[in-house]
Amino acid sequence: MEYVQMFQEYMGNGLVVGWYLVSLAYLLMKEKRRHVRILFVYVPLIILLLFFNPLFAKLISLMEDIYWRLLWLLPISMTIAYTAVRLYGEVKGKMRVAAAVLCVIMVTLSGSYIYQSSGIVKAENEYHVPQTVVDICDAIIIPGREVRALFPDEMLYYVRQYTPLVCMPYGREVFGWVENDLNDLMREETIDLSQLAGMAKEYQCHYIILPKDKQLVGNLLDYEYILFDTIDGYQIYKDTTMNFSVVSLKKDRTLLGCRFIVI
Amino acid sequence: MYTAEKVLVLIIWMLIIPVFIGNIAAVGIGKYKKNLVFMWVMGQIILWALFQLICVPFILIHARLSRVTAVYIILTVILLLFSAGLRVRSRHAQSAAYILPDTWKDRTYWHHVLWGIFFLLLVFQMVQAARLAFTDGDDAYYVATATLAEESDTLYLISPYTGGFTGMDVRHGLAPFPIWIAFLARISGIHAASVAHIAVPLMLIPMAYGVFYLIGSRLCGKYGERLPLFLVIAELLVLFGNYSTYSAERFLIFRSRQGKATLGSIIVPVLFFLLLSILERMQEQKKVEKTLWILLTAAVMAGCLCSTQGAELSCLLLGVAGLCSSVCYRQWKLLLPMFLCCLPAVVYAVLYFVLH
Repeated sequence: MEYVQMFQEYMGNGLVVGWYLVSLAYLLMKEKRRHVRILFVYVPLIILLLFFNPLFAKLISLMEDIYWRLLWLLPISMTIAYTAVRLYGEVKGKMRVAAAVLCVIMVTLSGSYIYQSSGIVKAENEYHVPQTVVDICDAIIIPGREVRALFPDEMLYYVRQYTPLVCMPYGREVFGWVENDLNDLMREETIDLSQLAGMAKEYQCHYIILPKDKQLVGNLLDYEYILFDTIDGYQIYKDTTMNFSVVSLKKDRTLLGCRFIVI
Repeated sequence: MYTAEKVLVLIIWMLIIPVFIGNIAAVGIGKYKKNLVFMWVMGQIILWALFQLICVPFILIHARLSRVTAVYIILTVILLLFSAGLRVRSRHAQSAAYILPDTWKDRTYWHHVLWGIFFLLLVFQMVQAARLAFTDGDDAYYVATATLAEESDTLYLISPYTGGFTGMDVRHGLAPFPIWIAFLARISGIHAASVAHIAVPLMLIPMAYGVFYLIGSRLCGKYGERLPLFLVIAELLVLFGNYSTYSAERFLIFRSRQGKATLGSIIVPVLFFLLLSILERMQEQKKVEKTLWILLTAAVMAGCLCSTQGAELSCLLLGVAGLCSSVCYRQWKLLLPMFLCCLPAVVYAVLYFVLH
């Protein structure tokens, strides 16, 4: 019954989808134009029937794991808006304005204001990535080659949106479907720096970026690192044993795997 | 190149060229000859279809972005010349009475107020899209892919997450919407992340309402206050569409730079609009223009550009709508052109299974 749960999650609080189902019923009774009935009543009803059909669900799920997107084929906004306009058309005189206002109120009360949801912040620059990430990347980029850097989790989404010249030992996949021992270590409340230095060298990281307030045991300076810079509360450590020379593909194909460097 | 020039290049490619290309479709369907919104939306659909047609083979042969860019520009110029030729031939080149003045003929107070509210809300959403950053994990793939393609000139060979070689990423390579963003970044010289996070939403949000406008004008009629009321309510449903993390409305605002958002909020509504136009012709017992079928095929291909699921969703919609209308109109011959429109999606689906 996974698809029932998907539908419930798609409905959210259920009010907007509820209005949609009411609109569907209204159009089923009132809409006379056959082509409109076909597209805005029959087709959505068949799609809903298919969505709840276990055999169909099994067939489609074989192809994609995002079955709920089938619900995008329900023209929810169009149908509700069209029904509201039809109802508005049926009201005469000054009551029309009241009907329109009522529709607007019902729509706004049923939904949830989109700019109030979490995950929205004021953009800090024209790239729409945190300025701290931009500053750190700008500090460690070496023109003519890539570098690999170990970032804390909160920066993983953004680094390579800004620049592909900074590579990472792991990326966003550690938030869901891939486990990484180095990431596990970075997530620990207290990081053992002797362990971190060893693993970062194994992953060929040129830099390690750590929040200043992170609890640490040991000192990276004891493991051939230097404190390269401190930016917005993040300390950037540079591994002095790594190769920082500008290389071409022909000289060293294996270094980091990125072959697009223009020297 | 100065920033103003870079922005101008983007405006040319995201607004002006689509309108000129859309002229090809408008000439083919008489009643849209003066409709700038129709021309913009359909022009972009044709351009997306063309991009998909060019880009996927180049991805599969491990070609570079610069080659895709060159071929796409050449074919776009050919289409522009073809469009200009059509416009001259159709003798409508001198007509300046485009759609907005037409719609504004019926000037009641209430009509003006509603159009005013509509445009105010639209501008508000566009300002919000430019000034707010919407955090979404999938950007780490899609936007990074665009940045990577633009800077490395490679297509789906390097992991956008880490920078290591991955081999061909077929699943995403068959729906190269981020490469279209990389193309825009390449020709404009603007950073791909800025194109993805600012320019693309500024184009796609009004375009989504453009499709609503086209559908609304078929459902409610072009004149009077019904159309602007339809649009205002649709806008409010988007603005208050945060009732679920999965709604197409939320995707339009939150993730417009990702192909799947374009699939849900532009391609699917465009398919509805084209199907509505086709069924309307059948209802009137008139011949369906070939242009409509071509546009439907282009929309299916544009859906494939946006997401691998585009093939599945467009085929399902066309299949169900085709069967329903065949039964209702007792016209089984409708199924053949519907099937032909789905063929590109079938090809991409087969490629997906063969190569995945």
